Amino acid sequence: MPPPSYRPRKKRKSATLFAGSNNSLTVDAGDGKSVPAFPLVSFLWGARAGVSQWLVLPLVLMTVGLFRWAISLWGYSGFQIPPMHGDFEAQRHWMEITIHLPLSKWYTYDLQYWGLDYPPLTAYHSWLLGKIGSVFDTTWFALDGSRGLEDPLLKVFMRATVIVSEYLVYIPAVVTFLRRYTRMQAVPVWSASIALTAILLQPATLLIDHGHFQYNTVMLGLFVASLDAIMAGRMLWACIFFVGALGFKQMALYYAPVMFAFLLGICIFPRIRILRLLSIALVTVAAFAVLLAPLMLGVTGIEARENLISTTPEPPLLQALPIRLDRSSVLYHLLFQLTQIIHRIFPFSRGLFEDKVANAWCAVHTFYKLHRFEADLLKRVSLGSTLASILIPCAIIFRHPRASILLPALATVAWGFFLFSFQVHEKSVLLPLLPMTLLLAGDEGLNKDTRAWIGWANMLGSWTLYPLLKRDGLQVPYFVMTYLWAYLLGLPPTSWQIYCHQKTVSDTETAAEPHGLTKVIHSLFYVTMLAWHVLEAFAPPPPGKPDLWVVFNVLVGAGGFGISYLWCLWKLISQCRRMEYRVEEVRKNQ
Amino acid sequence: MAELYPSLTQCAIVATAFKVLLFPAYKSTDFEVHRNWLAITHSLPVKEWYYEKTSEWTLDYPPFFAAFEWVLSQLAQYADPAMLVIQNLNYDSWQTIYFQRTTVIVTELVLLYALSRFIKSVPQPNKQLAHAASLSILLSPGLLIIDHIHFQYNGFLYGILILSIVWARKQSTLLYSGIAFAVLLCLKHIYLYLSLAYFVYLLRAYCLDPKSVFRPRFGNIFKLGLGVVSVFGLAFGPFASWGQLLQLKDRLFPFSRGLCHAYWAPNLWAMYSFTDRILITLAPRLGLPINQEALTSVTRGLVGDTSFAVLPEVSKEHTFALTLLFQLLPLIKLWRHPGPDTFIGALTLCGYASFLFGWHVHEKAILLIIIPFSLIALKDRRYFSAFRPLAVAGYVSLFPLLFTAAEFPLKTVYTIFWLVLFLFVFDRIAPVPERPRIFLVDRFSLLYITVSIPLIVYCSLVHQLVFGLERYQFLPLMFMSSYSALGVLGSWVGFMVVYFTA
Repeated sequence: MPPPSYRPRKKRKSATLFAGSNNSLTVDAGDGKSVPAFPLVSFLWGARAGVSQWLVLPLVLMTVGLFRWAISLWGYSGFQIPPMHGDFEAQRHWMEITIHLPLSKWYTYDLQYWGLDYPPLTAYHSWLLGKIGSVFDTTWFALDGSRGLEDPLLKVFMRATVIVSEYLVYIPAVVTFLRRYTRMQAVPVWSASIALTAILLQPATLLIDHGHFQYNTVMLGLFVASLDAIMAGRMLWACIFFVGALGFKQMALYYAPVMFAFLLGICIFPRIRILRLLSIALVTVAAFAVLLAPLMLGVTGIEARENLISTTPEPPLLQALPIRLDRSSVLYHLLFQLTQIIHRIFPFSRGLFEDKVANAWCAVHTFYKLHRFEADLLKRVSLGSTLASILIPCAIIFRHPRASILLPALATVAWGFFLFSFQVHEKSVLLPLLPMTLLLAGDEGLNKDTRAWIGWANMLGSWTLYPLLKRDGLQVPYFVMTYLWAYLLGLPPTSWQIYCHQKTVSDTETAAEPHGLTKVIHSLFYVTMLAWHVLEAFAPPPPGKPDLWVVFNVLVGAGGFGISYLWCLWKLISQCRRMEYRVEEVRKNQ
Repeated sequence: MAELYPSLTQCAIVATAFKVLLFPAYKSTDFEVHRNWLAITHSLPVKEWYYEKTSEWTLDYPPFFAAFEWVLSQLAQYADPAMLVIQNLNYDSWQTIYFQRTTVIVTELVLLYALSRFIKSVPQPNKQLAHAASLSILLSPGLLIIDHIHFQYNGFLYGILILSIVWARKQSTLLYSGIAFAVLLCLKHIYLYLSLAYFVYLLRAYCLDPKSVFRPRFGNIFKLGLGVVSVFGLAFGPFASWGQLLQLKDRLFPFSRGLCHAYWAPNLWAMYSFTDRILITLAPRLGLPINQEALTSVTRGLVGDTSFAVLPEVSKEHTFALTLLFQLLPLIKLWRHPGPDTFIGALTLCGYASFLFGWHVHEKAILLIIIPFSLIALKDRRYFSAFRPLAVAGYVSLFPLLFTAAEFPLKTVYTIFWLVLFLFVFDRIAPVPERPRIFLVDRFSLLYITVSIPLIVYCSLVHQLVFGLERYQFLPLMFMSSYSALGVLGSWVGFMVVYFTA
């Protein structure tokens, strides 16, 4: 047989679907020379071409690491506030109980004092860190005796665990995800480095994890790893990582509907693939089983069983079970442990919202008190409106299960959850902000319009965290980090240039200029935020309303987040349409 | 102007953000020293400034620095008046910390201004080199560690030094250069180490005719003399009229201290001590006599006097003679060829000589070499190869200044960041020299830099794990300073060769 006739090598599909460029990074200085469009571009100016990523990446990671560590020198939540202290003490306490108590007592021990209420992976993580910390000093985690400990060296250790966990999970995940994502969208390496720096300096995430003290980045990192696996086409790994994220912090549920819709979607469109569906389901179940296995095995022993049921009342979920079980059987204890964990993780008995958080319920509550309704009704309304808000993005992802439009969908759904769901914390704003900020690395992600919107949402997000950060004595890091981020990305209040017309070098992207309406909305919000800071700092609230400024913050925040939700939804729809259109074109050309 | 990004201002903004975040970091006793000076200058008449001794940290800087503290104290009363009470020893309310740390950041603007003048003073083709060198000084880990964590005002002082160097580059501004240096001396007398180079250069280039040494320019001599004398008169005149000069001398030059400073500055004497320690173990086999008194000395190796067990003692006169000798050698060349770059080279070599051979040298004095050297490190690759081990050794030798756990990641990561970034950038842009390079120097410096990694790991981690926190405390310090001393010494020899062959 003669060899097959010459066929031109098929172009990579992505290359025709997207045409990324560095155009949005430079502007015309007037004499034909290009100058950086915003300060972050200046800092990476030397990396435009011919510099190895082996150099740029370590430098970027060192810089963002230094800022993290510098923030961690400041106060943390609950410092010198007995008797309960704060999140720092909660995390330390979990290390203390997990290394000293048998698995059967982890979710039942002295629940009044920071009882464990995070999923199992957090518990294992705490156990590991507790073991490591005990090598340095056993008194840091002495059972009961170490409560409220505020040793400066303990602080250093705890801060180090956050940063190490982040560098082992979040940072590798973000770096590999961005590498894949930018390659897929044909974004140049230089733009990718700039986007990476911006993403890793997101003020809200840094301030909460390294200032306030939490391990959110581990959960976020596992989630990004899951996204990365999707981009790579390794759906089973995506399931495992996502179960990991859920198993670290239940808040990852904000992302779950999209992940579910996507994974279901790829099994049905363009053609039904039962095998894939089965294997995804199987792997997910298996991952959950592995996650729970140590805790389940821990209650099979005779002594452990006694431990479990002697001190704790039967969890409501177990009571609600239609069948009665023999109280001495192993199955009963397994179910007891499982339902106890679920009961601890999902506090359905708490109110619609806690504290002041910038979501819809808190905003409505300001004008129309929601206490008058029954808790049950409120729960149902909350569930209904959350479902309504996530229906469209989930439907789009289900019908068009494409990895490249996942980010706006995830951001939309997370905003929906943040605005309408039950028991939202102000810190949960990190969840919608992450996928939204990751869009910076996408095609045209650094152009003025996208940058303006993402920057604005991040500024607003950290602004709504201010009352919380102020309680922890983190005002200075807050101002420094938000201002720095605004400065690097060329956003107000440091520069209003992003809303002014600038001549770009090639002048091909006039469409990238922010819309008039965008300018008005953003300017209004920035001015309000600035004015609020001035008010909050210098004007004491009127006597009868000590929380007035916080309430005001919440109202503005909720409004802004509503707009962010709409923007992400619009972005999703337009990206989806553009994608379909391009795919159609490619098909026609072939 | 092509491609000078990021600009100095942009870097300064980001660096300032980082420095503000370092407010709660560890601060040494120098913080209390400066607070005490604020209190002294604010609450006592000038006459009593140099006699006050409630705190052990008496005023031991020259009068202009005291006046500078007085100016700051006028602002300090609005931040927290309690910090201005002399009896409030070790007072550190958060207002005090914020205020003092802010003054360091704000006064550093002088350095920023000086560096921007330096870039302007360089001809167009070399702008990029000057820009890179300026950024390396602005972001120097030395300034970060010493000023913004440990606490001092070096940024501001080195700003004046660089301004003076910039003015020394043009004949028309030489007068200002001399006056600026006189002001600098009245701010901090450590710059006396560099004064010989200034003296020779100003004398040759400003006071004498460029063509002939025997034709003095009396107008210039008069102007410079008047300027310098009035600066010193302004600073010391009042104290002289009160008859306090001897008291000032005792305060400014406390010669009762030992050869090596508490932390073993990486100079010749550190290597000398190290050799002595090794000889103690070898002495019985070699049949050398051991000074038993030195062996039992309690403070051995850590604080105060180092006495040597095997090697001969070193006296102040020895160190002084050596310093002078090695300062004079480069000055001969400066006298014969008084050009601006030779001047900076001579300044650097004066810094080297006083650092390597001086009595009771502080490790912080390494900036006295690094900062002038940075200005010419990019002249060509030969200069750069001499600069490289100095940068590594100099900055690594500052690590023992910060010994707290929380600051360990800051100092190491920041220094590594700086070294990776600037050594790479310098390597890319340093021009090829006109003369061939010295063989093997590059290999030596590469090997040298590689050794630093296991050494830092040992000194900061392994040693404590093996010996615990208490035993052989001096060992890591000695390793670090001997290692650094080797680098400083090596770079000195390298630079001497470059300087004399240029």
